[in-house]
Amino acid sequence: MMSLIDVCCILAVFLALTVLATHRIVGMIKLFALQSFFLSLVPLFLHAEALSGRDLMLSLVTMVLKAALVPAILFWTIRHISMRSEIKPILGFGASILCGAALIAVAFWISLSLRLPGKLTSSLVLPCSLATMLLGFMTMVTRTRAMTQVLGYMVIENGIFLFALSLFDAMPLLIEMGILLDIFVAVFIMAIVLNHINEEFERTRGSAVSRPKWGESQ
Amino acid sequence: METFFRGPWQVPFGELSLKVDPLSLVFLVAITILVLCAGAYGIGYMRPYRGKKPLGIHAFFYGVLALDLVLIVTANNAILFLGAWELMTLSTFFCIIFDDEKSSVRKAGFIYLIASHCATFFLFLMFFLMARAAGSMDFDIMARTGFSPVLAGIVFLLALAGFGVKAGFLPVHIWLPYAHPASPSHISALMSGITIKMGIYGICRVLWIMKVLPNWCGYVLLMIGVSSGIMGVLYALGQHELKKLLAYHSIENIGIIALGLGVGLLGRSHQVPFLAVLGFGGGLLHVLNHSLFKSLLFFGAGSVIQKTHTGEMDRLGGLARTLPVTSILFLVGALSICGLPLFNGFISEFIIYFGLFQGLLGLPVQGGIFCSLGILALALMGALALACFCKVYGTVFLGKPRVDINGPLKDPAARQGIREGTSRWMLVPMMILAGLCVWIGLVPRTAAGLAFRGGAYLTHVDLAAVPLGQVFTPLTMVVRIVLLFLALVLGLIVVRRFLLGGTSMPVRETWSCGFSQVSSRFQYTSASFARSIVDLMKNVLFFRRYGGQVAGVFPEKTSLVSSVHDVSEEMVYRPGLALLNYISEKLGHSRIRYTQLYLVYILLFLIFLLVWKLK
Amino acid sequence: MDFILNKALPVLFHWGGVCLFAPFFLGVIARVKAFFSGKTGPSVFQLYFDLAKLFRKKCVYSGTATWIFRAAPAVILGVMLTLSLMVPFGRFKAPVQFSGDVLLAVYLLAVGRFFMILAALDTGSSFEGMGASREAFFSCLSELALFMNFIVLALLAKSISLSQMIGANIPMSWGGMEPVLLLVVVSFFIVLLAENCRIPIDDPETHLELTMIHEVMILDHSGVDLAFMLHAAAMKFFIFSGILVSIIIPVRTGNAVMDMAIFFGGMLGLAVLVGVVESTTARFRLNRVRLLLLISFALAFFGLIVTLWRA
Repeated sequence: MMSLIDVCCILAVFLALTVLATHRIVGMIKLFALQSFFLSLVPLFLHAEALSGRDLMLSLVTMVLKAALVPAILFWTIRHISMRSEIKPILGFGASILCGAALIAVAFWISLSLRLPGKLTSSLVLPCSLATMLLGFMTMVTRTRAMTQVLGYMVIENGIFLFALSLFDAMPLLIEMGILLDIFVAVFIMAIVLNHINEEFERTRGSAVSRPKWGESQ
Repeated sequence: METFFRGPWQVPFGELSLKVDPLSLVFLVAITILVLCAGAYGIGYMRPYRGKKPLGIHAFFYGVLALDLVLIVTANNAILFLGAWELMTLSTFFCIIFDDEKSSVRKAGFIYLIASHCATFFLFLMFFLMARAAGSMDFDIMARTGFSPVLAGIVFLLALAGFGVKAGFLPVHIWLPYAHPASPSHISALMSGITIKMGIYGICRVLWIMKVLPNWCGYVLLMIGVSSGIMGVLYALGQHELKKLLAYHSIENIGIIALGLGVGLLGRSHQVPFLAVLGFGGGLLHVLNHSLFKSLLFFGAGSVIQKTHTGEMDRLGGLARTLPVTSILFLVGALSICGLPLFNGFISEFIIYFGLFQGLLGLPVQGGIFCSLGILALALMGALALACFCKVYGTVFLGKPRVDINGPLKDPAARQGIREGTSRWMLVPMMILAGLCVWIGLVPRTAAGLAFRGGAYLTHVDLAAVPLGQVFTPLTMVVRIVLLFLALVLGLIVVRRFLLGGTSMPVRETWSCGFSQVSSRFQYTSASFARSIVDLMKNVLFFRRYGGQVAGVFPEKTSLVSSVHDVSEEMVYRPGLALLNYISEKLGHSRIRYTQLYLVYILLFLIFLLVWKLK
Repeated sequence: MDFILNKALPVLFHWGGVCLFAPFFLGVIARVKAFFSGKTGPSVFQLYFDLAKLFRKKCVYSGTATWIFRAAPAVILGVMLTLSLMVPFGRFKAPVQFSGDVLLAVYLLAVGRFFMILAALDTGSSFEGMGASREAFFSCLSELALFMNFIVLALLAKSISLSQMIGANIPMSWGGMEPVLLLVVVSFFIVLLAENCRIPIDDPETHLELTMIHEVMILDHSGVDLAFMLHAAAMKFFIFSGILVSIIIPVRTGNAVMDMAIFFGGMLGLAVLVGVVESTTARFRLNRVRLLLLISFALAFFGLIVTLWRA
C-alpha cells in the first residue's frame, strides 16, 4: 500500500508540472481534475491494515468536490464568459518546465531539514506536497490570465491537502472538511466575479474600439 | 619517474632547473607532434606570401614559441616558468599579427596581449604566495610543503583566474574568438592545440603542488567545465565564420578537459584514487586528443581558406568535389571532435564518462548530484557538437557551391575544380594527424596509459595500486565492437554492390518537389541549420535577427542579418570598460595634473611600503 | 569450434531475430492506425513486401551527392545491427555486455545520426536541410532525456552495463521502486516516440509536409539504399521497444517458451500502444515538440531526485 501512496504523490507532482507546460486553459482544468482525482485516492491507502469509514468518506467527498464539481464550475465559467483559451505566459513554456524541475529539487532539498511531529505514512508525501505547492505557485506567478490564477491556487490547495493528509491522524476531520468547503466557496465566488466582469465588458463593447480581453496584458 | 636538470642562472631566486615527469610528458608529446606538423603545414600555407612579406620574422617567432612551450612544461622553478610564460605570450602575439596591415588583426593581437598580461598578474601573486609558504621558488620543494587550507583555496582561485584566461574558461575567454580567426591557420592550430593547453598545464601543476585542496575546489572546477563546455558549443553553433566557430569549440573542449580534471579532483579529495586517476587521466588524454583533432580541423579550414579566400560558411559549399582529400581529412577531424566511436575523441570522453558514472555510484549524494550534472552536460555537449559539425561539414563541403552568392568561387577555374591543388606540405601533416586520431581511437592503450600515468602522478598514488583493468577491459571491448561495426559497414557496402549489380546508376538533379528553377541558394545555410537551437537559447546567446520579413504579394527585395553575440563580452566587459573609461576620463580632466602630484603618489607609496615592512 | 558456439552463434541469432522481426511491429502499428480510422489497412507484413521490392530495385542518385550519400545507408544499418548486440531481447541475452556499453550504444546512435544528417545535406535540397536541422535539434533534447533515464537506471542497478540496467537487478526492486520506474518508463516512452519519429513528434506517413523530420531526410534515397534506411528505422524501433519492454516486464519464469511469449506479447502491446497514441493524438506544433522532450527530461530528473531521496 505504501508504494501506491508514493505513486499518487509522484503523479500529483507530475501533473502539476504538466499544468505548467499546457498552453490551453481547458487542458489545464482537465489536468487539475486528474490531479485531484489521484489525490483523493490517497486517503484510501493511508491505513494499511483496514479501510475505515472515515477514510472512505474523506476520499469520496474530495473526489466529488475537487475532481468533479470544481472543474465543472470552471468549465461552466469558461463557456459562459467565452474567453479565449490560449494562455499568455510571462515565462516561456520550456523555461518554466526547467524552472519547475529545479523547484522540485528545491522542495526535496528543503524537506530534508524539515522535521514534522508525528509519524509520516510515507517519506515521499512531505516533499511531494511541497513540490506541488511550489509548482502551483509557479503557475500563479508566470501565467497572466485570471483563470490560470485560480487554477494555480487550486494546485497549491492540492499540495496543502496532501500535506494535511500526512498529518491526518493528528488532525480532526472537521478542519479538513472546512478547508475543502472554503475552497469550494472561493471558486464559486471567483466564478461569479469573473462572470460579472465579463458582463461589464460586454456592456462596454460597443463604445470601445479594441477592448483588451480579460486577463491579457496589452 | 622524474628527471632533473639544474643549471646556474643569475636571477634572484631563479634557477635553470628543468624537470620531466609523467605530467609534463603528456604535454611534451602533444607539443612535439604539433609543432612539427604545424611547422610543415606553415611552409605550404605561407607559400603564397613568399616575397611579399618578411617570412623570416614569422619563422623566428615560431621557433621561439616552440622552444618556449617546451621550457614551460619542463620548468621546475617559478621564476623560470614565469619568464617562459611571458616569452610565450609575446611570441604568440607576434605570430598572431602576421597580417598586421589589417586593423582587425591588430585589434585581435592587442586583445590577446592585454588579456594575457592581466592574467599574468594573478600568476605572480599566486607564485609569490606559494613561495612564501614554501620558502623556495622550486616546484618540487613547494610540492613537499603542507599548505594551510585557506591558502590552498586562495591559490586555487588565483590559478583558475590566471591560467583560466590562457585556457579560455568561460567568463574570461574573450580573446580566443578574436585571436584564432585573425592569425594564419597553422598558428591558430598551434594556439588552439597547445598554447591554450598551457593554461591547463598550469592548473595541473598547481593541483600537483597542492596535495590537499578543500572539497569545494573539485566542484568549482567541475562547474567551470560544465559552463564553459555548454556555452562554448552553443556560441559555436551561432557562428558563421569557420575559424571563429572552431575557436569556440576550443572553449567547449577546454570545458570537457576541466570536467575531467574536476572529477579527478573530486576523487582525490574524497580519497577515491581510482576515480581520481580516471578523471585526471581522461582530462589529460583529452588534452592530447584535442590538440590532434583541433589542429587537423584548423589545417582543413586553412586549406579551404587558401583555396576560396573566405571563411564565411554561407558563401562556401560543395567543396568535397573541389578538395576531395581535404574533405575526407576534415571529416575525420569532425568525427573525432564529436566524440564518435572509431576516433580518439570517443576514448577520452568514454574515460571521463566512466569516471563520472563511477562518481555517481560511489561518491556521497552531493558528489553524485554534481556527477550526474557532469554526465548530462557531457551528453548535451556531444549532441550539440554533433549538430554543429553537421552544420559545418554540410554547408562547407557538401551540397552545391553557393556560387551565385557573389563568392570568389565564381571564377570558373575554381568551379571546374583543378583537383585538390593543396600543397603537399599541407596535406601530409593533416594525414599524419588524422592517422594519429584513428590510431588512438583503435589502439587506445598506449596513449591512455601515458595519460593514466600522468593522472596517477597528479593523484600522488602508485599506478600499480589502481585497478585500471576496470577501465581497460571496457576499452578493449569498445575497440572490438567498433572494429566489428567497421567490418559490418564494409560488408553491407559489398552487399549493396552485389544487389545493385555492375551497372552504373542514373544520375539526376536533386528532386525539388517539381520546382524547376532551382538555385543553389535554396540550400539550407549554416545560419538556418542552427536556427532552431539558437532560437531556443536566444536569451542566453544574445541572438539577434534583423529584417527578413516579406510583406505583400510582390515583395520588395529584402535581406536578413542574424548574429550571435558573446554575453560576457556584451554584458560584462563592454560596460565595465566603458565605466573605466569614463572614470579615467573624469580623472584626466581634473585640474590637478601636475608632475608633483604623481611624485606625491610615489612618496606616499614608498612610505606605505616602509611602514608595512618595518612597522 | 567453441568460439563459434559461444560467441558467433548468439550474435548471428540476435541479428537474425532483429532483421526478421523488426518490420513486423511497424506493420502492427500501421494496422492499429487503420483500425482507428475505420479501414482494414494493409497487411501486417506490408513492410516486408516493400523491402523485398526495394532490394530488387536500382538506385537513382542526385548529381549533387557525393560518396557520403551512398555510404550513409550502410553506416546506419551497420549502427543498428551493432547496437542490437547490446540489447537483451527477452530470453536472448545480449551477446555483448561490458561496463559502459550504454555509452557506446548512445554514441553509435550518434554516428548513425551524423551520417543521416550529412546525407540529407549532401543532396543540397532545402527540404532535406530542413529535416536535418530539426533532427539535429530534437536529438539534442532527446539525448539529454535519454541520458537522464540512464543515470536513474544506473543508480537503481548500481551498474553501467545496459543489460544490467534494464534487466537484471530491477525486477527485484519493482516492489519498492514503482514511482521511480513509472517515471522512467513514461519518460523513456516519450524518448522512444521522438527517436523513432512517431506521431506527436513527427509523422511517418507523409513525405512532403514542411513539418517532417525523418521522412524528409530520406527523400532522395531510392532502391537498395532506401531499403537499408527503412530496415534500419524498423530495427531502431525494435531495439528501443525491446529496452522499454525489458524495463516494464521483468518476468523470468524459467520456461524458455513462456519467457519468449511474454516478451513477444510485451512488444506487441507496446506496438499497439504506439498505434493508439498515434491515432488519438495530433502531431504537435514544432515548438511544442521541444516541450514534450523537456517534460520527458523533467520526469527522468524527478526520478533521479526521488532515487537520491530514497538513498
